[in-house]
Amino acid sequence: MKQMTEAQLSVLEQDLNAIRDEVIADLGERDANYIRRVVRLHRALEVGGRVMMPFGFIPPVFVAATVALGISKIIENMEIGHNVMHGQYDWMNDPSLHSQSYEWDTACDSDSWRLTHNYEHHTYTNIIGKDRDYGYALLRLSDDEKWRPAHSLQFVNYVLLSVFFQWGVALHEMEFERVRRGEVTLREKLPFLKGFLRKGGRQAFKDYAFFPLLTFPVAPIVLAGNLGANLIRNLWSSTVIFCGHFTQDAETFSEEECEGESKGHWYLRQLTGSSNFSGNKFVHLLSGHLSYQMEHHVFPDLPAHRYPEISEKVQAVCKKHGIHYNTGSFAKQYGTVLKRIVSYSLPDRVRQRIAPQMA
Amino acid sequence: MLSRIERSSALQWLGKQLFNREDPAAFFDPLLERINPMWVQQYTPARVERIVDETADTKTFVLKPAKRWAGFEAGQHVNICVDIDGVRRNRTFSLSSAPAQWQDNGIVTLTIKRLPGGRVTNWMHDNLEAGDTLGLGEAFGEFLVPEISEPLLYIAGGSGITPVLSQLETLAAADYQAPVTLLYFVRTQADIIGAEKLYSLRQNWPALTLNVLATNESEQPRFLRESDLEEVSEITARRCYLCGPKGLMDLAGDLLDRQGIAQDRRHSTFFAAAKAALDTDSLGGAVHFSRSDLNVSSEGDAVLLDIAEAAKLSPRYGCRMGICHQCSCKKTSGTVVNRLTGKSSGPGEENIQLCISVPQGPVTVEL
Repeated sequence: MKQMTEAQLSVLEQDLNAIRDEVIADLGERDANYIRRVVRLHRALEVGGRVMMPFGFIPPVFVAATVALGISKIIENMEIGHNVMHGQYDWMNDPSLHSQSYEWDTACDSDSWRLTHNYEHHTYTNIIGKDRDYGYALLRLSDDEKWRPAHSLQFVNYVLLSVFFQWGVALHEMEFERVRRGEVTLREKLPFLKGFLRKGGRQAFKDYAFFPLLTFPVAPIVLAGNLGANLIRNLWSSTVIFCGHFTQDAETFSEEECEGESKGHWYLRQLTGSSNFSGNKFVHLLSGHLSYQMEHHVFPDLPAHRYPEISEKVQAVCKKHGIHYNTGSFAKQYGTVLKRIVSYSLPDRVRQRIAPQMA
Repeated sequence: MLSRIERSSALQWLGKQLFNREDPAAFFDPLLERINPMWVQQYTPARVERIVDETADTKTFVLKPAKRWAGFEAGQHVNICVDIDGVRRNRTFSLSSAPAQWQDNGIVTLTIKRLPGGRVTNWMHDNLEAGDTLGLGEAFGEFLVPEISEPLLYIAGGSGITPVLSQLETLAAADYQAPVTLLYFVRTQADIIGAEKLYSLRQNWPALTLNVLATNESEQPRFLRESDLEEVSEITARRCYLCGPKGLMDLAGDLLDRQGIAQDRRHSTFFAAAKAALDTDSLGGAVHFSRSDLNVSSEGDAVLLDIAEAAKLSPRYGCRMGICHQCSCKKTSGTVVNRLTGKSSGPGEENIQLCISVPQGPVTVEL
């Protein structure tokens, strides 16, 4: 990681706090209108998708219904659920948009998400051994982890994780790797498993039993459409999230260098450990503005639609402090993610020969 | 139709599974609100029918609640919610109309005075218009008319008259026979709230003795005196109802003590001028954790998370630095100061982050 003195870190902290304070002071009707408009769009897409789905025996209707439902799930998970649960709209004091009571439309139980994502991932971002989001205890993405022969097949694991992403996220708190190592017992995981079954069961019931059976004669069509919508959401959200921390220039950290760190150091770690990608308004909406992952990690509880507005200021701060502002086109950033997954699946010696920049 | 979902437990269960929320009917609100704001399910909407000026700084808001609203008893209050600059604000006001009117034509009224620095009262005066909707909670409160006929004494001050108006109208409609006296303190005769109603009651209801006293029209402020009570016939037999500013309530309490009126024959109700948030060093205060029914006091800039933990509670928390919102929790009343920004919150119900909220005076938290 870029080395900065405590004095420099303190200036960085002040610079970023100033950006944050300016937005906080300006929060108001515009932000409330934005999120309510997005919620309305989500409701319209979900209602539209579900109403159209039984008529999916007409092929174009099937495509429209599946895409509408898929996009509705994407918007609900990325721009509404993820952001609401970060507390971005708690100041609105609207019980429907409250971080601690919001439950989203995916298999992962919101309480589990708030613990593993909001607290663990956002506090210990990219600290190997503490941030379990780094590779999801499934993929080897840096040489902090020793290569094992099993890693050579990790691209297959990556594809499977993407396809079943909502279930991967839902089981994240299970910590299979720690259970296997005997660090936690299954009994300790029982409360989590109960929550997982309740929420996962609810989602499976809704999409794979209730709505298909409700329209019995066309049940297979509705089931297929719902599976398709979930698949669209899984692939997209997995891809967006992988672009957030696993691009070529996103850094990792050790526990030692982060022990007792200052807020300034935390800011620096968020900036250097995250990466953005560019795109149009629609791409930003569908990514829940995680296309501004750096801004999101520095200010996780500012309304996400503000990230594009403050991006220039964050870039200016980065420039001032000599911090790399990691962005690029979606294709370029995602390309480096794929390269990272593939190259770290290789033994170190082979990797250094084929992809020296990943060394 | 949607509100019925809430009533059937099977549908309620199904709704939770399908929409991932405890109030499934509210899932469609963003769409329904566009069609008709009175169809919103998250709260009970009430349409502003008209707004009547009472005095220079007091208005009566005539409201028509959605049909599912459960009604009220004379003297009760309600929580209302309005969105101001994107923030939902909750406040409590007394209903000033009689329940009979609501049963008749579905109308209730709130009579609200502008409070200096009050965010909600001023906003309502300046922005609310006929045709707008606001959220209405169910009525609550123990300030109720007596069950049997007996002599009554009302002591009201300023806008503290609002629940009294509702009660007097109800008593008059029931042709209440026992003597009823109202001592109503106002700053000047121009500040009488509900003047028309009061004068018409006096005219048509012989049991009522109305005594309006202006405190600020003489050189010496004219407050409640012992002689005011002595002039009330059979004062010792009266059941007493008090509603007004703290000074009047304290004074009346002392004087009623001297008359030997038992505590269980006195009723007083909610009346608190929301204090404008002050940027002082007066941090700390009595903290009430309502779910655990625990009262503790705090001093200085201790944050609520530390206070709760010191009281052996274990609220959920994460970063303890205001980032992750794991410790977000509902504050039902009181003011807190954000340790990071130094800003004070409003006095009403809202969500706060325990790890960065310092009490400023008494605070109640749902924990």
